[in-house]
Amino acid sequence: MTHDVSSAESGAQLFARLEGRSSLKNIEPRIFPEEGAPVPGDVVEFYGTEGTGKTETIYHLVARCILPAENGGLEVEVMFVDTDYHFDMLRLVSILEHRLPQSPEETIRMCLRRLFVVHCTSTVHLLLTLHYVENMFCSRPALCLLVIDSISAFYWIDRSNGGESVTQQESNLGKCSAFLEKLLRDYRIVLFASTQAIMRSYSGEPSRAAGASSSWRRCPAADGDYSKPYLCKAWQRLVTHQLAFSKTDARRDSRAVFSIASSSAGTKSTSRCFFCVTEGGVQFF
Amino acid sequence: VGSRERGAGMQRDVSSLALAPGVKVKLIGAGFLSAGDLGELRPLELSREAGITQQEALEALEALRAARGEAEPGRGGRLTALELLQRERALGAVVTFCSALDRALGGGLPLGKTTEICGAPGVGKTQLCVQLAVDVQIPPCFGGLGGQAVYVDTEGSFLVQRAVDLAEAAVQHCGAVAGDAEQQEAMKEFTVETILSQLFLFRCHDYVELLAQTYLLPDFLSQHPKVRLVVIDSIAFPFRSNFEDLSLRTRLLNGLAQQLIQLATQHGVAVALTNQMTTKLGKSQSMLVPALGESWGHAATQRLLLHWEGPSRFASLYKSPSQREATVPFQITAQGFRDVPPADLQLPSADPSAAPSGDPPTSRKRPRADEGEL
Amino acid sequence: MVFLREGLCPGLTEEVIQALRTQEIRTVEDLVSSELEELAQKCSISYKALVAIRRVLLTQHTGFPVSGADLYEELLSSMAILSTGNESLDVLLDAGLYTGEVTELAGGPGSGKTQVCLGVAVNISCVLKRTVLYIDTNGGLSASRLLQMVQSKTSNMEEQVEALNRILVCRVFDVFSLLETLHSLRSGGLEQASVRNGPIRAVLVDSVTAVLSHMLGGRQTEGMSLMMQVAGALRLIAKDLNVAVLVTNHVTRDGNGVLKAGLGQSWSHVPRTRVLLQRVDGPQARHSGLRWATLLKSSRQPCHQKQQFDLGSGGQPADSHPDHLQRREQEDVFKH
Repeated sequence: MTHDVSSAESGAQLFARLEGRSSLKNIEPRIFPEEGAPVPGDVVEFYGTEGTGKTETIYHLVARCILPAENGGLEVEVMFVDTDYHFDMLRLVSILEHRLPQSPEETIRMCLRRLFVVHCTSTVHLLLTLHYVENMFCSRPALCLLVIDSISAFYWIDRSNGGESVTQQESNLGKCSAFLEKLLRDYRIVLFASTQAIMRSYSGEPSRAAGASSSWRRCPAADGDYSKPYLCKAWQRLVTHQLAFSKTDARRDSRAVFSIASSSAGTKSTSRCFFCVTEGGVQFF
Repeated sequence: VGSRERGAGMQRDVSSLALAPGVKVKLIGAGFLSAGDLGELRPLELSREAGITQQEALEALEALRAARGEAEPGRGGRLTALELLQRERALGAVVTFCSALDRALGGGLPLGKTTEICGAPGVGKTQLCVQLAVDVQIPPCFGGLGGQAVYVDTEGSFLVQRAVDLAEAAVQHCGAVAGDAEQQEAMKEFTVETILSQLFLFRCHDYVELLAQTYLLPDFLSQHPKVRLVVIDSIAFPFRSNFEDLSLRTRLLNGLAQQLIQLATQHGVAVALTNQMTTKLGKSQSMLVPALGESWGHAATQRLLLHWEGPSRFASLYKSPSQREATVPFQITAQGFRDVPPADLQLPSADPSAAPSGDPPTSRKRPRADEGEL
Repeated sequence: MVFLREGLCPGLTEEVIQALRTQEIRTVEDLVSSELEELAQKCSISYKALVAIRRVLLTQHTGFPVSGADLYEELLSSMAILSTGNESLDVLLDAGLYTGEVTELAGGPGSGKTQVCLGVAVNISCVLKRTVLYIDTNGGLSASRLLQMVQSKTSNMEEQVEALNRILVCRVFDVFSLLETLHSLRSGGLEQASVRNGPIRAVLVDSVTAVLSHMLGGRQTEGMSLMMQVAGALRLIAKDLNVAVLVTNHVTRDGNGVLKAGLGQSWSHVPRTRVLLQRVDGPQARHSGLRWATLLKSSRQPCHQKQQFDLGSGGQPADSHPDHLQRREQEDVFKH
């Protein structure tokens, strides 16, 4: 299907495709231990209930990507797919401002030029949008990260629309997953996607995604109540890293303390880090 | 901004239409995702394309047309607050014959709203309901509404003799104050017989009958446009016993509440629901709270609590969109629901801890086990 | 998203559609995700024509990536903060309701949700002179109470009438009608109604729970789907029409008896900011309009701040408590 695209491939595009993109290996060592850092083609799932710091962490990582190198950034471009209509530009800007003290307004704008935001209103819309943005991945070698916040946004609508048939319920997200797989493979990008933990798991109940591919996944302890994976298998198979978010009972400087349990298919081990959210964004301990 | 979302979102999704879930699944499965896809299709074509019956296809296209019609400006009950104010003023209220309570309610039981009347057995809930069913019929020249009443009795507690007593008292009262020729003339029609004949009584024995009756009420009110009051005495009784699935009960009750609010708004009637009190075990003391669970507390627009304080009866307006909360005394006499004469007045105690049974504000903080929400 | 039909885009003729159908290509997404070269051969349609159709359909039916810098520029020029007229709430909300966002008031029966909504509507229409859409789903909207509140702001009759005219009222009692209303707002159906008074800047829904709660639970997924459609429509309106959205929600208790907002986990993500309203307990507070407002969710302010205010006084703060009540002992879980 890429005929119309590849026939018009320029030198820069070819370079982007073949030479690979900037590495996101150092995006956040406190979340991703060295051997578990995301490499091109990896999919990181941000998993947690409401109010566990997923969004803040995503902004933290996006900020890290789009900040200039001299301010500790990676200076790469990010495509942010906002399916929840949740994206908070003001919040991102205030995080950037804290990372860029005494910088002129123009520096912020320069960072923001590395960010692209697109909204989606349904899974089908998401699918078409992914097809549409393929061109951008092709033509912009600096575009290294795709963020989908959240991949679970249309779960209930798809499930209800599919009636009794699980195949039909999952067909749209399945198509998206298949196309994402192709994007990741062809353009060597990294995908961050958030999933809202909404399904209660009852002890003894076999989870829907049980199987060899997900055995490395760690059951998040604090919000174990809502740890049941529920998205389709095609998606579950794509995921290579999982960050399980939870809110701890602890407080530091009267701020809530959050925890991330980070696990990956590659290392089969889990590491944990703690952070709280300040005005300037995520602060790790 | 709009250009960014070109194509997306301007068409209504099929999944948001008021159709049977099974039909929606088939339509969507066949690729009809948005209203635009159904476009100019004929029922026959649609039934063939989506694998649904022609009847279903016809209904789907009609639902779509209805949705489009309502989306046009000026339809679907849209108005300004000023227009709403004029309508509210024109509606009026049903007096209770207890002037203190009328004042607290802002003139009586408001038309166009739902009011829940809660209280322990014997405190006067049914008395108030029968009183309202009589009072709603007072002729306009006496300041009444000249309306009719629907009375849904679920407990079998409606006593005709008591209705006759209250009607007689009301007729006597109006007869005594009748002055001008118009009022004299109106008295000829305002008799115990006409009052009883304009009180439509329905007996429901269980919740299924009650739900069915509620479903039929809009049609009944369309056929009887003079009805200004709908009483359900009580809402709690059919839902209290033998309900194993409490979350189903909550869902049925919440759906019922929405139907009644719609009824009150669209037909301009006052809806009165009675509810029982139930004992809830607290940490230090048990207390009486309205039955049917905490979420039912949202159901009615206003909530009135009838309660005892020693030998005296009081009515407390607990929740109201337009009136301040207040507690007023009342009494039940042979003639019906009345004011307490000033000489007999006893003030309600200011300290709720002195009255552990039935003070509403402090009784809300206990969790209920039967809450059915997610 | 869309079924392929004639006239959808140039080149998409009835013949092409029929030919595509023989290959089970019925919708835009089918066409977009298929192998065009192979498809062209199978349907005997020119490859070039298919590529053109695909390109046009894609541009018609996808969202367009916008540069963050442009988005920020647009936001700075269009964003507004609408004061609620209630000082205590404004403190918790960081100055008021933000356009482009969904804010939620959660509370039990009689906690003052409707009164706060009425007060917000009056402040926006009467003081800020903006148009408000008030969607009443539980019969709680009282125009006479609105008038009282307007009268407390101005004694000028003309201004009172104008203020009441700037509050558009919609009374819907089921979720389908609510979706219809939100959809018509989105597609400009309400423009005519508001053109006299300027565009709608705030949409209030009191309450979302009333039309949803009886559809949730059991084994049906339709209720959840409808709830998420309401959520999507509200957020879309907030962003695309740049209005502030305020909704009310009921409360439930978790296993420990702690109050939390109703409608469950999936809804909990929907509002950007959430405030819990509660009655003030105690003998002195009986029949008073005293209420606690607690910030439960915010991206701008630390949560669990508490403020007390009086419903009756039009929302003047009763007393300020920058909450130390709920602060727990600091623990250190990081020792190990």
